[in-house]
Amino acid sequence: MGNGAIALGLMEARCQVVTSYPGTPSSEILPEVVRLVKSEGLNTYVEWSTNEKVALDTAFAASISGKRAACCMKQVGLNVAADSLLSAAYLGTIGGLLIISCDDPGPHSSQTEQDTRLMARLAKVPVLDPSNPREAREMAKLALDISEEFRIPVILRPAIRVCHARQDLKWDHFKGSKRKASFKKDPARWAATPRFRLILHGELNNKLKEIGGRFERLAAFNFHDLQKDKKYPLGIISSGVPYSVVRDILSEERREDIPILKIGTPYPFPERLAGDFMSACEKVLVLEETDTVIEYFLRDRKRVLGRLSGDVPAEGELVPDVIYEVINGVLRESGLEPLNSGGVKEAFALVKGLDLPVRKPTLCPGCPHRGAFFAIRKARPKAIYTSDIGCYTLGINQGAVDTCLDMGAAITMASGFYHSFAQDHVDQPIVATIGDSTFFHSGTAGLLNAVYNNARFILVILDNQTTAMTGMQPTPALGIRADGSRGRSIPLERVVAGCGIDFIEVVDPYNIKEMTELIKKATEYVSDPSGGIAVIIARHPCVIAYREKALLQRKKVIVTEDCVECNFCLDRFGCPALYRDEELARTSVNQSLCVECGVCLEICPKGAIVEGQYVPGEKGQ
Amino acid sequence: MKTMNMVLSGLGGQGILFMTKVLAQAALDKGLNVIGAETHGMAQRGGSVVSHLRLGDVQSSLVKTGSAHFLLSLEENEAYRNIPFLARGGRLYANTSSEGFPRKEVRPYLENMGIVCRAVPASRVASKMRAPMSSNLALLGFFSAFEDGPVGYDDLKKTIDKVSPSRSGTINLKVFDAGFQRGTQQRE
Repeated sequence: MGNGAIALGLMEARCQVVTSYPGTPSSEILPEVVRLVKSEGLNTYVEWSTNEKVALDTAFAASISGKRAACCMKQVGLNVAADSLLSAAYLGTIGGLLIISCDDPGPHSSQTEQDTRLMARLAKVPVLDPSNPREAREMAKLALDISEEFRIPVILRPAIRVCHARQDLKWDHFKGSKRKASFKKDPARWAATPRFRLILHGELNNKLKEIGGRFERLAAFNFHDLQKDKKYPLGIISSGVPYSVVRDILSEERREDIPILKIGTPYPFPERLAGDFMSACEKVLVLEETDTVIEYFLRDRKRVLGRLSGDVPAEGELVPDVIYEVINGVLRESGLEPLNSGGVKEAFALVKGLDLPVRKPTLCPGCPHRGAFFAIRKARPKAIYTSDIGCYTLGINQGAVDTCLDMGAAITMASGFYHSFAQDHVDQPIVATIGDSTFFHSGTAGLLNAVYNNARFILVILDNQTTAMTGMQPTPALGIRADGSRGRSIPLERVVAGCGIDFIEVVDPYNIKEMTELIKKATEYVSDPSGGIAVIIARHPCVIAYREKALLQRKKVIVTEDCVECNFCLDRFGCPALYRDEELARTSVNQSLCVECGVCLEICPKGAIVEGQYVPGEKGQ
Repeated sequence: MKTMNMVLSGLGGQGILFMTKVLAQAALDKGLNVIGAETHGMAQRGGSVVSHLRLGDVQSSLVKTGSAHFLLSLEENEAYRNIPFLARGGRLYANTSSEGFPRKEVRPYLENMGIVCRAVPASRVASKMRAPMSSNLALLGFFSAFEDGPVGYDDLKKTIDKVSPSRSGTINLKVFDAGFQRGTQQRE
């Protein structure tokens, strides 16, 4: 996997410290590092940090102790670490410092399609843009070398089609670094005041100029296939994943008449190389993901086709079909011979006409969040439901999630809603939901603020004892570290109490009745003049991460003839194991999906969902 | 070798990624270049899962529509959804027990494109052997009864033995063989 290739590159480059906060598509890098560290017997330090800023600060300190360090995150994670990144660019590094920020054009699993390359430009740090796993591995090594040579942090930005691509790689054993930590005090640099920052800014600009010169000659990643003295009506400039696609399409079609300039280092931009290419081509088409970066760097705008000229879609992933259409459109417009292997458009129309089921992502059968959301909506039907980033965003299917902004915003937005309504003397109920890992990531600052400023709402921390969405990474409460060793466990209750909360109750969301009662009690506390913010910890292990522990009591569930097809269970509970059986004309249980958690036994208004004996072969049950 | 494109589809939890891994590893062991793309994260929460696999000297991990030689699907609707990937003369292998497969609406298109459809009740085959989670291997076995290149029955079998977790290795091979038998019978 691409993320494995990156891990391999890091270890081959003798990186000694690797930190990360999980997030698709970056989550597998750190576990792959752990695997290599164990198989090669290295002493590399690894950690799941509580958030991306923490991860970058930690790696930065390692770097200025002389060690090679890397930190891995998804692209929106780099927003969290932006404060650290922009400052670190001025201060510079000692040991190589690599930031791996994985982009998600599509977006497949993110709140935005933002382009890390723009963040690199903003921070004034070099960025490398791999086209496939093999290149990602080589670039990781080069990035650490450049970082160390020029004393500047470097970003590697693999897109999801690099991270989650699989490709064959060969590798040999390698050794770890013997470098020892040493920190040479230099407060003028490492604690620079604004006056010195101006000087550091100048230094940074000079570094970039030098690195830009180096990138002009970096033939391994920046190259074109122009023939000497030949002129072309059209050329293509591409980077990252789109480059691989362009290369494949043009070689399949044997289009040697269209040269390609591949850019592996979008910033600092190899302007001279691009200039050479531009002067051999009448027009150039720019294919890059996800935003316009290269396109902005090409000065002769009149000869450039891309997003700004409307030839390339401004949003969405540049999958092969999109790129094919873009190239073909430009070829036709330029009066050149079009490509000839397309043409399954009728198949799309055909599939569309089939009315195939739309598969909404849903919480898993047996997911403890489902019971929690059901209870929340039942107890506080008129509330505004602020929520957060994680599996539980899917509570939207149960009508129990109204907002999802960014990590930690369930709490900060609850606070904002409270003050907006309270200002008008309106008593608006608000229930915020946030996962345990997200709470540790960026919940506390918001909670401190809410308590300090007298906000009133119910906060439900959905504690499934793992970071489920990204692949079951441990949380600080668990006390297990990235390499499997023991860490010190920090109970949620202690953190919440430390934020100044007096109402803290723990409940098992598998028990809907108890949780509903508790929310009512919390409501009273919130509205009491001497009350405050009420925190409920809905604690039940994730059914995927801890199947046995999550399902201690199995209950076989069936639906009886009392079902009146009100669809209440399907709408409000929405378990994938419950479905409408057309033949029986009522709701039924898909026994192969059902995990027998028995939570749905509490929800049917007609009492038609009961514990019962499933008879194999009997239709529908 | 000419590039070989495959698309594998199904639902989250059906073992699409394991099936991809087996095919990819088998190809690697034959010295072929392999590149492929998977879906993770949000898409796995009960959604459609699609995996692309390309064997040969190519750079991009994604298959373009109209260029897949094979489409292997663990669920009937997910087979239909991915029909646009199939190339002229491509072959579709689907896990379904439906008599009416493929649906009549798609037949003219498939015929026109010269696409061959073969169905096997892989879930039923696997369930009967008390391994309901192994329908992916039943489908793979079925597939190997018809196709011997670029990776055939022997290659796949060897790989399954190698990559299966030890507790499920034996049953995986049995289910794979049961799928293969199904295919062999159907061929005769």
